[in-house]
This record gives sequence, structure tokens and C-alpha cells, in this order.
Amino acid sequence: MPISSQMIMTLMDSLYRNNIEPIFFFDAKGAIIDMNPAAENILDPSELASMQRNEEHSPFCITCRGYTSDNELMSCINCFMSHTQAEFSSFQVYLNTKDKGVIPFSASFQTIDKETGTRVLMLRDLTSQLVTQESMYRNTMMKNTIKAQEDERKRISRELHDSVAQELLSSLVELRVLKYLNVSEDVLQKLEQTEGSLTRLLDQIRNMSVELRPSSLDDLGLEAAFRSHFKWIEKNYGVIVKFTPKLNGTRYNNEIETVFYRICQESLLNAIKYADVDEVEVTLFETEEYLEMIVEDKGEGFNLSLRDPKGTGLGLYGMRERAELVNGNLSITSQIGSGTKIHLQIPTNVARYDKN
Amino acid sequence: MMNEASEIYNYQMKIDDLRESLSCDFVAVAIAKSASEGSEITWQYASGNLNNRYKRIILRSGKGIAGIVFKTGKPMIINDVKSDMMNEDLFNYPIVVSEKLCALIAVPLFQYARVTGVLLVGYRQPTLISETFASNLKSLLHNEFGAFDIKGL
Repeated sequence: MPISSQMIMTLMDSLYRNNIEPIFFFDAKGAIIDMNPAAENILDPSELASMQRNEEHSPFCITCRGYTSDNELMSCINCFMSHTQAEFSSFQVYLNTKDKGVIPFSASFQTIDKETGTRVLMLRDLTSQLVTQESMYRNTMMKNTIKAQEDERKRISRELHDSVAQELLSSLVELRVLKYLNVSEDVLQKLEQTEGSLTRLLDQIRNMSVELRPSSLDDLGLEAAFRSHFKWIEKNYGVIVKFTPKLNGTRYNNEIETVFYRICQESLLNAIKYADVDEVEVTLFETEEYLEMIVEDKGEGFNLSLRDPKGTGLGLYGMRERAELVNGNLSITSQIGSGTKIHLQIPTNVARYDKN
Repeated sequence: MMNEASEIYNYQMKIDDLRESLSCDFVAVAIAKSASEGSEITWQYASGNLNNRYKRIILRSGKGIAGIVFKTGKPMIINDVKSDMMNEDLFNYPIVVSEKLCALIAVPLFQYARVTGVLLVGYRQPTLISETFASNLKSLLHNEFGAFDIKGL
């Protein structure tokens, strides 16, 4: 049932006064006829009187920093105040507010009375929308960068292992055959030396390949990759890693497993460099909703507010980013003198390895 | 090859004495399983060690302080780890990390003209180690060091 125009007027009045979005009424020259309470955050009504005496610009120009045109973020060229064609039915404008400084608004500017030339400007605060957008963009960029990095590492690792190492191995085999041919003592000695150097070279290449990206991570899973890495740590640093896995051979998707591996790698490296301990404990387990890992040492601890940018290029900051990108949660607790604990949790509803 | 019981006593005591006479922070001996290129090298004796991590470190020719000296057959001197090894990955020098060494000299130990061990003298402050240090070492050890030949130092 259509309501009476009286009712509409009451509703509109309510809308005007109670709207959280600022509304301004302008006359044909750009002077402000009225503004709603919300608009007072942008322009102080007491200052309005003095402003309106300047005939050159609309008093609104005092607070306005420009609208977003095709070419400029904040432009005054072809200002909406002098044009009320269709292109200004929806646009972005930067205004100086009392509490937040200059912020972007989504605006519409229309003529509501052609005879008198009365126009209305309606605004909507865009800041939270833009922050979310920026955040999403940054996340996507970071995710892409990390994925690109891992893909490249995987590619190089595979090539080193599959072609370079293989070729070297065949040369080595041929060299060994040479030894059994009828050769003199000094030739034999030289052959043995060369065999030694090539064997070391092969070792180096294999190490490089594993360091870039362990194939055990892709082929056998987290547990196997961890075990190999911990053995390597023991040989190279003399630090024992007490590993307690409580998974039942479940595989998770590649992205998730990589996050766990890299964060563990980084945590261990930090413990080795700074904790001054002989032993580090790593537990890997599943709870109802999460896949979790704890890397803990009873070493020197550190001051959480100081960040060390060295390491494998990740550092504490990079670790959190990686965790967040897979909707995980990373908590780092440390106390000087009592040790450090790194706890990573990633929700399993997205983590399960999908064979399809 | 070596009479273990008497030699153990000999080496440990010798390096403890050496550490005192040199007023340094750390002395250690690495021994290769065999003189061949591919053998494992481990730190067998240590004096002034901060922890027991050195016992678990496994090196090869070319890897780590001992590995490099083993391979080159020449002494190695580092006067300031922080500046001289700034760009290196620490895991390439496990003993430097685990014993917090700032300066060191490592000399090859020979048997029948082949390197079979390494003697390391380390400091936990940057120290200027002169080129003549190696020969000073030789006289301090009275020209002998267990089964090893150090006449060439």
C-alpha cells in the first residue's frame, strides 16, 4: 500500500539526520545550503559562514583534496562541482576529515532540482574497504612470490639431481673402469685422485640439490624429509634433534608440507645460531582440527622485540607470513635464560592431500 | 695403528698443557679415519670446549676447518671470524659455531707424508695470529705430537 507523502517526508527527515554517511546540499554556485550531522565531521558548520563569502570557489574546496579521475588519484581538473553530468553519479573523492585526516570517499553528486540548480553530494567512507583490498592484494602477491620461489627451487633441485648428478656419476663409473685397465702406477695414482675429487663434487651437487628442495619432501612426505634434515643437522652442527612424529603416514598437500618444512628449517637454524644448545625437540602431531608442530629448545632464549633478518632469508617475519598464507597460526615464545618455543598450527580441513 | 690407551692420555694432556701455555680458549685435534680422500674426519680431542657438540660433527675432505686443512695440507689462519667469514654459510664451519670461535689457526698433522689429522688452536676474541705461530707451536710441542709428524710446521 503506498504510503502518504507525509510519511515519506518523515522518513526522509529521519534518514537525513541519522545517516552515518555525510550528505551536502549545494546551490547552483557551489555554496552549501545544508549538511547533515554526519557531514560535520568533514566541515565545521561554524566555519561555514566565513567560508561562503569567497565567491571564487565553493567553500567545499577547503576540505576537498580532489577526485580520482582516469589519470590522477586526486584531481581538480573538470571538478564535479562545475559539472553534474552522468559521469559524476559515482566517483571517488578525497576529503579532509576531523578525526582521520585525508581519506577517500565513495561519492555521488546529482542535481535534484533542475530549476534552482540544487545539487546533493552523498558520501561513503571507503577506508576500511580499501584497507581490505590492499591487504588482499599484498597477500596474493606474497603467495605468488613464495610459490614462484619454491617452484624455481624445485626445478633447479630436480635438474641438479636428475641430469647433472647423473652425468657426473656415469663419468665416475667410467673412471673407475679405467683403473682396471693396464695402467702404470703413476697413472693409477692420478686416477685415484681424480676419482676422489669427482666423488666430492658429486656430494656437493647432491647437497645443493637437497638444500634447495629435498625430493623426499615431495616424494615421501614431511616425516621422511624431517628425518633426513635432522640427520644432516647432527652431522653439520653436532646438535641432536629429538623428533617425535605422531602422524600415521598421512600426506598433506604440497603447499602445507612446504610451509612446515621451511618453518622447521628456519627455527632450527635460529636455535643453532643463538640458543647454544646441544639438543632441540621437534614434535609433529594432529589434533581434531589442526596439523601442529612444536620446535622447542631450553637454550638462551631471545628478546622477541628485536628481529634478526639473517638466516635462510625468512627470519621471524617471513615465518609468520608463510603460516598466515595457509590460514595457519604461528606463535613464538621465548624467555632469556629459559628457552624458545615455536608453535605452528594449520587447519586440516584445507590441509589434507587431495589425490584428485 | 696407534696404541689407544697410552695415546689417549698423551693427546688430551698435551692439548690441555698447550692451551695453558698459549693462553688460548680452545684446542682440538681432528683425526681422519684413513689418509684417503673420501674418509670421515672427526674431532677426537678437545680442551676448553663449551659443550660436547664437537663430538658429533662429521667432516670430509674440503668441508669445515679440518676438512680444508686436510685437503690443502696447509695451515689455515682466521684472525676475525666476523669479518673474514661474513658471507659464508655457518654450517660450512661447524666447530666455529659450536665453540663460538672468533680467531683460529689450524695446522695439518702428517703421517708418512700424508695428512691424517688437524690441530686447531682457537680464540673467542679476535686475535692477530702471526705467520710464525705455526713454528712457535712446533717448539712448544718439542717437535713431536704423538703419532703425528709435525717437523714440517
